[in-house]
Amino acid sequence: MTYTGRCACGAVIATIDAEPVATRQCWCRQCQQLAGGGPTHNAMFPTDAIALTGELSSHSYVAASGNTIQHDFCAKCGTPIWGQSSARPQFRAMRIGFLDQPHGIKPQMAIWLDDAPDWAVIDPTLEKFPGQPPPPRAPTA
Amino acid sequence: MPHTGQCFCGQIRFTIDAEPIATRMCWCRDCQRVASGSAMVNVVFAEDIVTFTGEIATIERIADSGNTAERGFCSRCGTQIYSRMLAPKGNVLVIRAGTLDDPELMAPQAVIWTSSAPSWAVFDPELPYYPRGPQ
Repeated sequence: MTYTGRCACGAVIATIDAEPVATRQCWCRQCQQLAGGGPTHNAMFPTDAIALTGELSSHSYVAASGNTIQHDFCAKCGTPIWGQSSARPQFRAMRIGFLDQPHGIKPQMAIWLDDAPDWAVIDPTLEKFPGQPPPPRAPTA
Repeated sequence: MPHTGQCFCGQIRFTIDAEPIATRMCWCRDCQRVASGSAMVNVVFAEDIVTFTGEIATIERIADSGNTAERGFCSRCGTQIYSRMLAPKGNVLVIRAGTLDDPELMAPQAVIWTSSAPSWAVFDPELPYYPRGPQ
């Protein structure tokens, strides 16, 4: 399936010609800052399957995992587009809010739950990790 | 003690010398886009008691409610800071809970725009929820 995405103002659009290799809901404190107080929702796609147009702004930081994350967002409206980890340049963690609906993608696991606020409600069917999960497997050819 | 907050990179800081009026989780489609796929967690304050320092980028959007909203964000790190209504003119400033130095200052009291929430969203059964905006 081909997925498409656009930011809130429409300046950044993307087409993704692959299935996600993993989908995660991340409650680390840094993601809460970027996501308005809740978790980020991320679908990890192969980098080379993503075609994107529009102007991105970037901010890099050392994540709770110890990896350096480059967070890219729309320069005009601030919509989060993706995160890219120094540990896994072959993937982009697309922010699920950026993807056009309906897309059928949903989180498979909730991570960094040690940082979640007391009021957080976590889907009981999700796989749960108090911190960083194991890395995703490479897509099979 | 005033409440304080900042964006991720720290170039925008603010102080709020009053208690919040309400906190809501908003699942409108626009909030999902700028909240990375989650509901936005919005802490509502009286507009005139929030003092900002730093450079805030803004964009105007027609919200799902049909009202014109202004959104403030950090142009350096992308952190969403606030929204407020321009037309019709509102009198509150909605601060994104993630920017508060105490993100648990006020737990969500309601869930709104559940009609546009994704099928996998889960809601706290203790909270009132509204298919659209609160009346």
